[in-house]
Amino acid sequence: MRQARAQGGRVALPVALGLAATLCQVAFVFLIARLLATILGFDGGGFGELAAAGALALLSASLGMTQEIAQQAAGERARASIRAALFARLLELGPADPRGVGEKATLLVDRVEALDGFFSRWVPAAALAILSPALIIIIVAMADGTSALVLAVMGLMVPVAMALTGIGAAVESRNQMDVLGRLSGRFVDRLRGLSTLVQFNRAQDEARALGVAAGEFRLRTMRVLRVAFLSSAALELLAGFTLGYLAWRHGILLAPQSTDPTLALFCILVVPVFFLPLRNFSLAYHEAMSARGAAAELAPLLEVPPDQGLLLEEIPPRVALVFNEVELRYPGMDKPALARLTFALAPGETLMLVGPSGAGKSSVLRLLMGFARPVAGRIAINGQDVTRLKPAELRRLSAYVGQRSHLFGGTLRENILLARPEASEPEMLRAAEAARVMAFAAHLPQGLDTQVGEGGFGLSGGQAQRVALARAFLRDSPLVLLDEPTASLDPGTEAEVMEAIARLCTGRTVIIATHSAQLMGLSGRVIELDGQRLVEQHVG
Amino acid sequence: MWADLARILRLWAPRRKALILGLFIGMLSALSGVALLALAGKGVAAGAGGVGLVGVAALVWLRPVVVLRPLLRWWERMASHAGAFQALADTRVWFFSRLAERMPGGIGLRGSGDLLGRVISDVEALDRLYLGGLMPAAAALAVVAAIAILLGAEPGLMALLVLPLGLALILPLMLAPAATRAAQRAAEERGGLRAAAVDPIAGLEDTLAANAEGRALARLTRADANLMAAQRELSLRSAAAGTAGTLLTQLAVLAALGWGLSSGAGGAAMAVLALFLAIAAAEALGLIPRAGALMAGAAASARRLFEAADTRAPVEEPANPAPLPGGNELVLSGVTFGWRPEAAPILENLDFTLHAGERVAILGPSGAGKSSLAALLLKLAAPQSGTITLGGTEIAKLTGSDLRQRIICLSQDARLFDVSIAENLRLAAAEAPDAALWRALAKAGVAEFVRSLPDGLETRCGEGGSRFSGGEARRIALARALLPPAAILILDEPTVGLDAEAERAFMATLATATEGRSLLIITHELTGAEPLDRVLRLAGGRLLPAAG
Repeated sequence: MRQARAQGGRVALPVALGLAATLCQVAFVFLIARLLATILGFDGGGFGELAAAGALALLSASLGMTQEIAQQAAGERARASIRAALFARLLELGPADPRGVGEKATLLVDRVEALDGFFSRWVPAAALAILSPALIIIIVAMADGTSALVLAVMGLMVPVAMALTGIGAAVESRNQMDVLGRLSGRFVDRLRGLSTLVQFNRAQDEARALGVAAGEFRLRTMRVLRVAFLSSAALELLAGFTLGYLAWRHGILLAPQSTDPTLALFCILVVPVFFLPLRNFSLAYHEAMSARGAAAELAPLLEVPPDQGLLLEEIPPRVALVFNEVELRYPGMDKPALARLTFALAPGETLMLVGPSGAGKSSVLRLLMGFARPVAGRIAINGQDVTRLKPAELRRLSAYVGQRSHLFGGTLRENILLARPEASEPEMLRAAEAARVMAFAAHLPQGLDTQVGEGGFGLSGGQAQRVALARAFLRDSPLVLLDEPTASLDPGTEAEVMEAIARLCTGRTVIIATHSAQLMGLSGRVIELDGQRLVEQHVG
Repeated sequence: MWADLARILRLWAPRRKALILGLFIGMLSALSGVALLALAGKGVAAGAGGVGLVGVAALVWLRPVVVLRPLLRWWERMASHAGAFQALADTRVWFFSRLAERMPGGIGLRGSGDLLGRVISDVEALDRLYLGGLMPAAAALAVVAAIAILLGAEPGLMALLVLPLGLALILPLMLAPAATRAAQRAAEERGGLRAAAVDPIAGLEDTLAANAEGRALARLTRADANLMAAQRELSLRSAAAGTAGTLLTQLAVLAALGWGLSSGAGGAAMAVLALFLAIAAAEALGLIPRAGALMAGAAASARRLFEAADTRAPVEEPANPAPLPGGNELVLSGVTFGWRPEAAPILENLDFTLHAGERVAILGPSGAGKSSLAALLLKLAAPQSGTITLGGTEIAKLTGSDLRQRIICLSQDARLFDVSIAENLRLAAAEAPDAALWRALAKAGVAEFVRSLPDGLETRCGEGGSRFSGGEARRIALARALLPPAAILILDEPTVGLDAEAERAFMATLATATEGRSLLIITHELTGAEPLDRVLRLAGGRLLPAAG
């Protein structure tokens, strides 16, 4: 909520506009009371007042509209800065963060949108709920002290009723956000695997299960609303009672006296104006509650101080690498992913890590990419401890191709240029050629300008992998990290790509995780990992 | 717009009773508000006119109304929300099953980030149709009708009030088309924002590896700015409509006063009543012009939902499905196929027979059409020409679900869901006992790994099996494919991500794992350990016997 407070100053304009609108409405009501008195046979206004009331109505309407636009603008600025900070933070956390893609998307889009009501409605409404009624009480006190007292007492009862019902609503609201997150995570998860569900004839069952989950969500939501609606019912009761009491009081007063009843009528007619800001507050209050639920999830992410790591002064042309007794553990796993791993790699050397799946081949690469941090030991590049670098700086040293490469929504060209956007067209074409992307792109109707969707629809796994390799070629970095780079390639393509990889390796320090060093056909050192022992050999 | 909304209402038909109950209570609640102010007005008029008793009588009636109104109000909101949520849950389920029918091969080019946006925010936006559109409209209609009846004795006065109020009532219809366009844009921009958020996170490792954080953030900020510009236009329209509604109800108040001023003492009582009624109407009608903007938003969401749901199914289900044949021989004759009609076909005039119980491998370079062949056999795509028969019956004449009982495929994109390992396995065979699950895991060479997990079969897999390494996840998916007793098994790159030893071990156990079934392995290379009857090579759209 610290973010929230920082944004507080932006609502001064909407609050001022709201107060001005309240004043207009009070004046409007006064004129109406005066005209009403005239109709009831007392001396008073005429069509002049009627015209004035019309003018006031126009003025208050335009003030109200300006206020709404100002509120919207305040909310926009607040959301934009929070969303950007949250996105940067999620990227900083990287793959170590256990949240799924769907959950992160919900945080970024829905949770931040849920904060909108907080800034654009609740903050101004909360200020106006105190200021406007106070203003009206002062004005009414000049007309009739008792009426002002009744309004004051009733006005004070509103926050009491809200507090009584609001506490329950806050707790329930947090539960509801939990369920919403799980529900949306479940939707994305199932939609991504729609073909798997269809394959096993389970799509209809899953649809039913989603229905049950939605039903559970509905029950939870209704539980929140039951309380939320109770507080607005309490507000209705207070408003109705105030109106009834004042009508009774002034109705009795009116009969025997024949003095000008304008002030008495004003006291009755002002009741809806008095309760309007409180009503708006009540509506916004529950918006604030659901925003709090969202804020509670966002706050731990946003309130972390930014990483204090060092920056890289320049990218060294050659990289020497030392692992010394490095240990890595993933949370919730009994066995360490890497146990006391030690090796050294001279500049320009190629190292192949082999071993069964799960032996920690990928973990070595993840450490060098800053996706994970060692719990013990030291990793040094050119003699410098890499854990002191910011992870993003560490990544500037390397080109990386993972097991499952992602193709981003956009053209093939954009996907290759991702690695180095400032690269020239010939450089990009050379990289595409070297990774044998051109071998299939040339046959596509739009060549490198072919759109590939999220997850790379339309391209086979091998083709997607070649695009990822093209990125590595384009990146031109001193350290190259490849994780099973040819796992999804057929032998023909693999031979071509391997020849290209060999060229990529020349003059660079390279680590390749692979299940078969022989298959690689590269010369270099081989370390076999199986969690227990290290076997070193040399091939090529 | 109206067609989309009408179709949504038809989807909601089973919940008609709950939805109509909500409308009815909403009207009662609005009328109680009218009663409250009408009685107050009568009291004031009578009191001022010196008719003390009548005034007091009116005020006596105020008391129950003061209590009744909040109760009705609460009930109205509970009933309408409960009805709306039920209807929305139905819509979600409908949309999901519909996509399963229309996109059985997966979401493909429609990014799932965008699709998620469709389901969550668009379905939720539909509640505005009922809660923000129909509910206020019903309440306002009831109020205007009540006012017309109460003021029936003075037609001139009635006209003065009902005209502006009626205008406020139909205002949303006039503003709707422009608001629909604005809402459509806002919904599209929201989808764009979601895509800008999801894409870099789905490919998080690649984003980070390319140091593309700044570019991803810039894209997100741009998408955010676009969304806000669209939302601003929408809220400007809605604010303008709201202001117009307020002005029209205030016009009714002024009209009542004007009528009173000009009619003199005789009309005083009616004028006071009319004034209080106009004030009462303000609350119900003030919401109405905004309802137009809200309904436009709901219509834009409905349009996007239906666009996705109405995608043509890649293969039509037969109108009169043939029964599953007894035989299990798969025969492809003269099959030509390409994903894009304008591009050269991937498979050309292909002939192939998989005899019952036979084990065949199809080799080929990536992109040669191996996975397309699997898609054709599963009816996820239809050949442009040629026929595919199973046991002598064309598979085009079989229903997809019947066919899938006979043919199980481990596809390249087989996904583990974020539930336990056991639940993932039971997707393939709901009733399978634990022992059967362990047998399947053992055949896929992953039983030992699962046993080593603290929660064993109950370990959650994470989205897409993210809790496990690529090889482990692949083997669990393999175990799932081995579980059901389908006669034909297609394994598309079954060992991708497995190390050489595990791959060899797995291939060696395939003989026992697939005893008595036909087996089609689609792969780019063989280990030599496979118990195969035939090996074919797919090249240039044709199948040739593999040399050596």
